[in-house]
This record gives sequence, C-alpha cells and structure tokens, in this order.
Amino acid sequence: MFASNLLLLLVIILPLASLLLALRPDWQQAYRYCLPLLPLPALLAGLTLGPDASLELPGLLLGGRWGLDELRQVFLVLTATLWLVAGVFAVGYLKVHYLRRFCVFWALTLAGNLGLVMAQDIASFYSFFALMTFAGYGLVVHEGTGEANHAGRVYLTMAVVGEMAILSGLLMAAQQAGSGLLADLPAAVAEADRRWLIMLLLLSGFGVKAGLPLLHFWLPLAHPVAPTPASAVLSGAMIKAGLLGWLVTLPFGEVSLPGWGNALVILGAVGSLGGAVLGVRQRRPKTVLAYSSISQMGLMTLMVGAALANTEYAGPLFAVMALYVLHHGLAKGSLFLSTAMALPAGRGGQWLLWLLIALPGLSLAGLPFTSGAASKLAMKELLKPGNFEFAMAPYLPMLMSAGAVATMLLVWRFLWVQRAAASVGSNPAFMCLGWGLATAGSLVLFWWLPWPGAVPNKAWLATMVHEAWSLFWPILAATVIAALAWRSVKQR
Amino acid sequence: MTLSVLMPVFALMTSLLASVVLFALPEKGHRLRTIINLAAAILKIALVGVMIWGVAQGREYEAAFTMVPGVEFVLRADALSMLFAGLSALLWLLTTIYAVGYLEDSPNRSRFFGFFSLCVASTMGIALAGNLFTFFLFYEMLTLSTYPLVVHRGTTKALRAGRNYIIYTLTGGAVLLFAIAWLHGLVGDLRFQEGGYFSDIDPSMQGPLTIIFVLMIVGLGVKAALVPFHGWLPQAMVAPAPVSALLHAVAVVKAGAFGIIRVVFEIYGLEAAKDMGLLAGLSVVAAFTIIYGSTRALYQVDLKRRLAFSTVSQVSYIVLGLCLFGPVGVAGGLVHLVHQGIMKITLFFCAGNYAETLGVHRIDELDGAGKRMPGTSVAFTLGAFGMIGAPPLAGFITKWTMGSGALAVGMDWVVAVLVISSLLNAAYFLPILHRLWFAEQCEPWPHERRWGRLETSAWLLWPPLITAALMLVAGLIANLPFSPLSWAELIVAREVAL
Repeated sequence: MFASNLLLLLVIILPLASLLLALRPDWQQAYRYCLPLLPLPALLAGLTLGPDASLELPGLLLGGRWGLDELRQVFLVLTATLWLVAGVFAVGYLKVHYLRRFCVFWALTLAGNLGLVMAQDIASFYSFFALMTFAGYGLVVHEGTGEANHAGRVYLTMAVVGEMAILSGLLMAAQQAGSGLLADLPAAVAEADRRWLIMLLLLSGFGVKAGLPLLHFWLPLAHPVAPTPASAVLSGAMIKAGLLGWLVTLPFGEVSLPGWGNALVILGAVGSLGGAVLGVRQRRPKTVLAYSSISQMGLMTLMVGAALANTEYAGPLFAVMALYVLHHGLAKGSLFLSTAMALPAGRGGQWLLWLLIALPGLSLAGLPFTSGAASKLAMKELLKPGNFEFAMAPYLPMLMSAGAVATMLLVWRFLWVQRAAASVGSNPAFMCLGWGLATAGSLVLFWWLPWPGAVPNKAWLATMVHEAWSLFWPILAATVIAALAWRSVKQR
Repeated sequence: MTLSVLMPVFALMTSLLASVVLFALPEKGHRLRTIINLAAAILKIALVGVMIWGVAQGREYEAAFTMVPGVEFVLRADALSMLFAGLSALLWLLTTIYAVGYLEDSPNRSRFFGFFSLCVASTMGIALAGNLFTFFLFYEMLTLSTYPLVVHRGTTKALRAGRNYIIYTLTGGAVLLFAIAWLHGLVGDLRFQEGGYFSDIDPSMQGPLTIIFVLMIVGLGVKAALVPFHGWLPQAMVAPAPVSALLHAVAVVKAGAFGIIRVVFEIYGLEAAKDMGLLAGLSVVAAFTIIYGSTRALYQVDLKRRLAFSTVSQVSYIVLGLCLFGPVGVAGGLVHLVHQGIMKITLFFCAGNYAETLGVHRIDELDGAGKRMPGTSVAFTLGAFGMIGAPPLAGFITKWTMGSGALAVGMDWVVAVLVISSLLNAAYFLPILHRLWFAEQCEPWPHERRWGRLETSAWLLWPPLITAALMLVAGLIANLPFSPLSWAELIVAREVAL
C-alpha cells in the first residue's frame, strides 16, 4: 500500500523535482541526461500496480484522488513508454541552444501528461490537462522561427478556447453530479437536463486536443514544427489525452445515444478520410504524419461514436480503444522519431533502415502480424453491423476498410517525401537508441505490454492467418494507387 | 481590560505607533527605520495570527466605547475581518521588504514609510471596524494616508494623478457619509451583525433603504473601482511600485470591496438584499466591470497600466461572488479577496523589478527578459496564469467555486462571464509570457542596473517569489483548514444563514 502510494506520488514528483536542475545554467547538460529517467516511475506504476491502485490526497485542491483502472493503466503505459523513448532520443537530438528552457518545458509537459492519466478527481485532472497544454506551448515554439511562432499562436488560441469549453462542461457536470470525482460524471451527464450542452462542451473541448475535424487546424501546424522528440510525444501521447478526456467524462454505458453516435461516426469518417486527402498533398514528412494522426484519431472517434450509440458495447469498445491507443501511439512515435534519422552510407544498411521505418507505418495500415492488425481485428469483431442499430452502423466496416486504404496511402506518401528529405550520415547513439526502442516497442514490445483485459481474445495468430486477405487487400489497393500516382508524376 | 479587548487595539496600534516613530526618525537612519518597519510588521502578523487562531476556536475579540451618545467606536475581530486583516498583515511585511529595496537611495524615505505605516493602520482599522461609523473613520483615513504615497515622486504626472485620486475618493467618501448618516437617522447606530438587520422589513422602508444601498455602493465602489468610478486607478499607477502593490492588492481597492461585503452581509443581510432586488443590479454592474476592465487591459502598452485595468476587472469578481447568494458562490467571492491580493501583488512586484532593474516599462520592451531575470519572470508567469484562472493556482479555485456557486443558484450567465473574462485575461497575459520566455532580446535594456550575482536586489527578488509560492500553495491545499478557501467557507457558515 505504502509502496504503491509512493510510486503514484513519484510519477508527478520526479518530473517536478527535476526542475531544480534548471536553477543553475551549468547543470543543463546533466538535465539533458536526466530526461529519459523522468517517466520511469510512471512506467513502473503502469506495469506493476494493479488496476485498483489509488491514492487519496484530501488536502489537494478540492480533494484529490489519483489512481489507476484498466483503461488508465494502458494509457499510462503508453504515455510513459513514449516519453521514455522520446526522452532517450532527445538526449542525442538536442542542441545546446536554449537547452535548459527545453528541459523545463519537457518536464512540465510530461508531468501534466502523466498526471492527467492518473487523476481521478476533476480538479487534478483539469490541472494536469492545463499544465500539459500550456507547457506544451514551450515545446511547439522552441525553435523560435516565424513558422514555429505562428503555429504556437494557433495552438495556444485553440487550446485556450478548448480549455474554457472543458471548464464549463466540467463545471456543469460536476454541479449535476454533486461530486468532485470523475467517476461520478458519466451517470450525472446522462441524467442532466442540458445533456446536449454538457456533451457538446466536453466533446469540442477535448476534441481540440484529439484533432476532431474543424478543431484540428492547429495540429498539422504545431506537431511538425516542434523538435522531433516533442513531435513524437505530441502526436503519440498528448493527442490521446483528448480521447481519454472523452472516455472518462461522457455518459458511456449509461444511456444509448444514437444521435450522438451518428454524428461522431460521421465526424470520425470525415477525419479519417479527410485527414488522408489533405495529408497526401503535403511535402514535409512530419506534416504528412500529423495528418495521419488526424486520420487515425478519426477512426478512434468512430469507435467513440459507436460506444455512445449503444451502451452494451461501451465496455468492450473501451478495451479496443485502449488497445488501439497503445498501437497507434507506439507506431506514430517511432515514425516521428525516424524523420530525424540520417541514412547509413552502405546500401544494405539503407535497406534495413527503410524497412524499419516502413514497418510501423505498415502496422498502422494493418499489415498482418503487426500491432495494427491486432487492433483492427479486435475493432472489426465488435463493429459488426449486427451489433448496432443506429443509422450509421451498416457503414462501419466499409469506413474501416476505406480508413485502412487511406492510412496506407499516407504511409506511402510519407516514405516518398521522407526519402527526398533524408540525408546520409551518422546518428548520435542516443538517437539510434531512442528510435530503436520506439520501433521495437511498436513491433515487438506491443505484444508483451499489458493489454486491456476485456479485449475479445489474444489468440491472434490463427485469426490473422484466417483474416490475412481482409487485412491485406487495403494495403494492396493503396499500393497500386500509390504506384500509379508515382508513375504519372514521373512521366510528367 | 482583558486580552480579548486588547488584541484588536494592539493590532491597530502596532502600525499606528510605527508610523509615528517613523515620521520622527531622521532621513539618514536607514538601518533603524528598516528594523522598526520589519519588527512592527512581524509583530502584527503574530498578533493577527493569534486572533485568527482564536476566532477559529470561536473566541471573540472586541473593544468598544461610546464617542457621543448614539455613536460608538467599535473594534472587533470576527471571521470576516480576519480574512482581510490576515491578508493585509502578511502582505504588509512583504511589501515593506520590497519597499526597502525599491526606495534605496531615494529621497524622503521617512515621509514615505510614515505614511506607508499609516496606510496599513487604516487598512487594519477597516478590517476590524465593528460598525459603519468606525469603518468610515478608517476608510477616510486611508484616503488621506495614501495620497502622499501616490504623489511621492512629486512629478507633474504624479501630482495630477494624486489630485484625480483625491477628488474621486473624497467624493466617494462624502456620498458614503451621507448614506451612513441617512441610515443612522432611520434606524440608529448599526453594528455589523451576522445576517444583517433587514430580513423582515416594513414595505414602506424599502424605498429609502434601496436608495441608501445604491449610495453606499457608489461610495464604496469608487475605491473598489467599479465602472464607472474606476477612472482614478489606472492613473494612480504612476506611484512607486510598492505603492501600486499596496493600492491594488492590499489596501484601497480591497477596502472598497470589503466595505461592500460588510454592507451586503451584515447591514442588509444577503437574503434581504436579494429580496429587495439589490443583488441583481449589483451583479450586472460587477459583470460589466469584469468584462470592461479586461477589454481595456487588452489595449494597454504600458505594463503597469495593463495590470491596473486587470485589477478593475478582478476586484469585481469579489462583488460578483456576493451576488451569487448561495454558500458556494459567496465563498468564491470572499476567497478572491485573498487570492486576487496575492496574485496582483506578485505581478506588481515583478513589474517594479523590470522597471528598477532593466528600466523596462512597456510590454514590447520585455523581449527576452526571462533569460535576464528568470526568478522575477517565473513569479510573473505564475501570477499571470493565476489571473487567467489556470489550475492549480489560486485563481482557479476562485473561478471553480464561483462557477459552481452560480450554477447552483441558476445564474448560469455568470459562468459565461467567467469564461469570457478568462479568455480576455489569456489574451492580454499570454503574449507577455511569450515575450518573456520565447522572444529574443533585440535592443539593450533601456536602463540596466547590476546587482552582482543575483538578477536584481535580493530585497526586490524575494517578495514576488514568496507571494508566487503562496499563490501556488493557496490553490494546491485549498481543501485544508486555514487555507483561504476553507476560511471563506468558515465565514459563510457563520455569517450567512442560508
């Protein structure tokens, strides 16, 4: 009990205590090497503590309570892993220019991101969320270019408006619940007279973070301009905070809301396909990846819609979403980090590197025997038309396949522009290590990390062989389209 | 004479006596003056601390005597007065430390610190006043003792601001006096009393009482900088930084807001004020002031002027909180008395530091100041986020409590006001923070001074760091006993039977 409480406290205290290293300029090199250590308590907590670990902090804010459950455990493991690999990468990536400032904002954003996953009371949750948002600005504008400042301004404006929507929504929900705990909100929202308003506020407020269509404008600007390790956590981990916000506040499992379900499925489809349409027209690797994140979040929005539409499937869908979050976070983190990797001189080495860069991308598209295939199969299993009755339900399988094609197209576009942008040279050891860990995480560790318990079954191998064609044809289709496009460009 | 009678008198006398001694000191006695200043401030904190402890235990402190038949002089320590007295005692110490560093080597320090102490004595008197008459006495004493501080520099601009200040506040005082006298004529000498007096009032009295209420709010609203009586405040920022800090955070605007609290709670009574429709009007004025002040702040290029308009806006949170007539909302307004004080004093300390150390007054000159003055800039950053209402800082606690209170009594529009105000606060504070931390310094500082290893004089650096830390702590431990929020809830529990 004591050890678990201490561990939960350390998750936040360690990154905050690291700020002391910023007190003197000559400690900044030490600070750089400490970055990978900061998420370790969180990783440990996510891997070792049971789903019912909790810590009461009655004096904190308006009465604090931190802890884990099945959903939060997966989010915590993913968030900590990504911050860890990105931190390792950052050690090699960072230059001396404003190093101290970067480390401070890194630590603060990290504390916010990890804290919001653990927070079970409204005030802590909102505090950590705001900390992540505001400190994240420091990561976005770090490079100090005109472009970064512009992206920062858009990011901050939308984020502040989003925060206000969240605040109003939380206030109304908390007032209805008469409680300061997040766990009491869904039931209260379900019964509220102005349910539509509360839901609209929370959906749009968290939607800014999650890159919901029309609230996404900041995302393709801000994710690419940040230093590469920061892009990786922005797009891999912080974007998921918006999703988590939805999952813990909206009335899942309380009342079936087919209207909201339809709306979110449509929004998700728009995000998933629209993100791809916009993304394939980008020329910079990181921007393509940012649009790919919007597209992937669209698929998750789709699941959120389905879960809202039918109470029965909210629980299983939560598990699948958590699995998807784990898969996408690791893959996207690896992809973002790979944008800064220089190619080795030898041909064989180049091929190997390209393969390792491409694999997480293929995983996003659902290549059999990857984390993406596992998540997609689990998703497919649940989103069968027979399971749901709302208007958009029959289109779900089609939308998922279209999403897979779109994803694969984006991956090809990414590889294309990345090839043009990549340089030949050597990489600092820490960058290789960080990227290597991220890639290993996406391809191998994914199968070992704790999965949400309610995922249908883990006997994937047989299923995957069985379903290989259904997983593979979207990839093939996208590849044919990409090849045709490539030829037409070449002939011109 | 028992101790319970003497305590409030002592608390008042520490600064009053200090003021007399300080006036008498020769200009050169720098060290002695500092010692006396600090000793008095620390002694006062101790005295107020003891009283806070006592009041929490349910003890009563009261000293009263009759001036002329029918008019009493009453000093009394209750939970509400301790909220204000605690704030001003604590911030007096920090402001004194700051002022010692700020006025180093400048002329007329005896005069300055003399009036400074007198001003704090008046504030203590206002906090402890047990009836309207005593309140008015100290309220006017505050006006007269702050005037020399506002015009301290003696420049034309300062003198003009001072004249403006004195015209506004004396007129306000006259209106207040008229209202108090009228009320006295109607119902006699009224001590401040929990729950007020007018809960079941003769309908025939309602007319005059409404007019008296409006007059009182006008008289108090001048100091609380309610629109349209706020004109003096942005001008008065020509005063030295410690005076601005005092004006904006501890003494003057707070005296106005505190007076409004007393009148609403303990003369009229919250319930009666609501039934007579007085709160509805007041809430509209407060809401308008909140939005108006923030909007004006957006357009200011001078740092202190921007902060001044921000004060106009923030002080009305307190007034708006009262109008929420439910226990939660009222606590939100009360707690902002303390929260706004710590946040705004931090910001003014920092503005003073930029001016004294770098010669920077305008916001566009602040580019890159975070690198040169990290300590001050961290404090400023925390203060600004507090003002925006970002969690977990003190400002968030206010906003959350007021928002919950408003929803609880069905005044949903207040949430909209809070949100708009937060957005405006973000719009005028965040660009400053960007300049501090992310903009490169382009030009040399206008007028830079060096203090060895530290970024500025230690006397100037520590006060904002301490207040910034207090602001963080006030938010973080809001749920513990003796936090500002818990104290505000205690007041509500005792004062307002809702």
